[in-house]
Amino acid sequence: MSTQIPKNLKYTKEHEWVLIEGDTATIGITDFAQSALGDIVFAEVPDVGTSIAQGATFGVVESIKSVSDLYAPLSGEVIAKNNDVEGSPEKINAGAYEAWLIKVKVKNPGEIAQLLTAEAYDQFCQTSA
Amino acid sequence: MTQRTSLFQKHVDLKAKIVDFAGWDMPVQYTSVKDEVLAVRQKVGVFDVSHMGEFFAEGPDAIAFVDHLVTNNIQEAPMGKAIYSPLCRENGTVIDDLIVYKLAPQRILICVNASNIDKDFTWMKSHVGKFNVKFTNQSNDYSLLALQGPQTEATLRAFIPQLPSMEYYSVWEGECFGKPVILARTGYTGEDGFEIFGGHHIIAELWDGFMKAGVTPCGLASRDVLRLEVCYPLYGHELNDEVTPLDAALGWTVKQAKPAFIGKEALSGYKPRFKLVKLLVEKGIPREGYAVCDGEDKVIGTVTSGTMSVVLNQGVALARVEADKVTPGQKYFIDIRQKKYAATPTSKAFVQGGHK
Repeated sequence: MSTQIPKNLKYTKEHEWVLIEGDTATIGITDFAQSALGDIVFAEVPDVGTSIAQGATFGVVESIKSVSDLYAPLSGEVIAKNNDVEGSPEKINAGAYEAWLIKVKVKNPGEIAQLLTAEAYDQFCQTSA
Repeated sequence: MTQRTSLFQKHVDLKAKIVDFAGWDMPVQYTSVKDEVLAVRQKVGVFDVSHMGEFFAEGPDAIAFVDHLVTNNIQEAPMGKAIYSPLCRENGTVIDDLIVYKLAPQRILICVNASNIDKDFTWMKSHVGKFNVKFTNQSNDYSLLALQGPQTEATLRAFIPQLPSMEYYSVWEGECFGKPVILARTGYTGEDGFEIFGGHHIIAELWDGFMKAGVTPCGLASRDVLRLEVCYPLYGHELNDEVTPLDAALGWTVKQAKPAFIGKEALSGYKPRFKLVKLLVEKGIPREGYAVCDGEDKVIGTVTSGTMSVVLNQGVALARVEADKVTPGQKYFIDIRQKKYAATPTSKAFVQGGHK
């Protein structure tokens, strides 16, 4: 499966992408994930002000036939959510890296080092595909 | 070790996603579940359902034998008809649901669920007793396609010009490209459609022909959405070894007027333990196993099948609720990730299929 993996982002083995800008992390699901899920018909993410913890579930995306939990790549407080994607979840299929889900104020910058680089994520996708 | 249908390599070549279903490697989707559902609702799609089982009852007592086994009325149905029926034990619980095809006075085809082939055949064979009938499991000799959608008849006629005019739920034994086939105007989508039983070679030829004619290949995921939109039960979900047809809204298939059939005594006067309800939700998607609650947060049942309806773009569910907990004007809520979502019960199917 050919999949887009932008170099400027960080990744998780649960197929989330993270854009780090200062102490803000923008989080979405990868192109690999949207392609594996198929038609995404439902997305639920936490409201602004919610605290999320690295590795814990923070929301779901659902395709017609399946439910997939979203795992927090980093700990922190939700400072923005993409209402547009909750209203039109198919936008994740149309462009996984444009359709961000939440922005988080990073609590422990040390956690960033645990995320995968684009190269490492690419490798991971190829071995798990 | 999983089994494969005769068309397996064709699914791989079409880049279908393959899953293990009831011990079979089956295509779950080719391109998109949504596109496959819409192809069947609006045009024509084809499913490889060769994993399903084919049994034949042949001989002077073929009709009497099958009529004794199943709850619906086979004896009185006209020749050439297809009849949907549960197959029950003496205590009324459901072994399987199946379709009986009256091919000829001494020749009956029974099509059963893939997951139940061995269980069904063992049960049925053990009841041959004094019936003068040859009962055989020919599942390995047959492949089966379901061609479904409003353009089915026109599509099929290009391959079988001698196709007679057939009503819904009828069957015809004929030929295609000089090879024997059994054509039934049946399906599992609510749309007009035909199921085509034949040897592996003729079915492979037809599959290739349908692909060239632009028919959409459809996988098990779209099949499940299609059947759920029109509220057809699925064994292992709405039906299982623990419930009777009367617990699953299938009272219309139990013909108490028949002189005798297996399960008749248990089912006569049976007070259903469960009610199968159709629920529509405004927001969220119900899934199998989610709890169904009343207005006071008390659990009264479980979702047996749930999905996002492609046609309605709304969550739909079939749910098994405890019959004695349902009162007129009952309010329903579905527990989705610890949140209660209001669900509206409906009496009609979520989607009205276009079958004849």
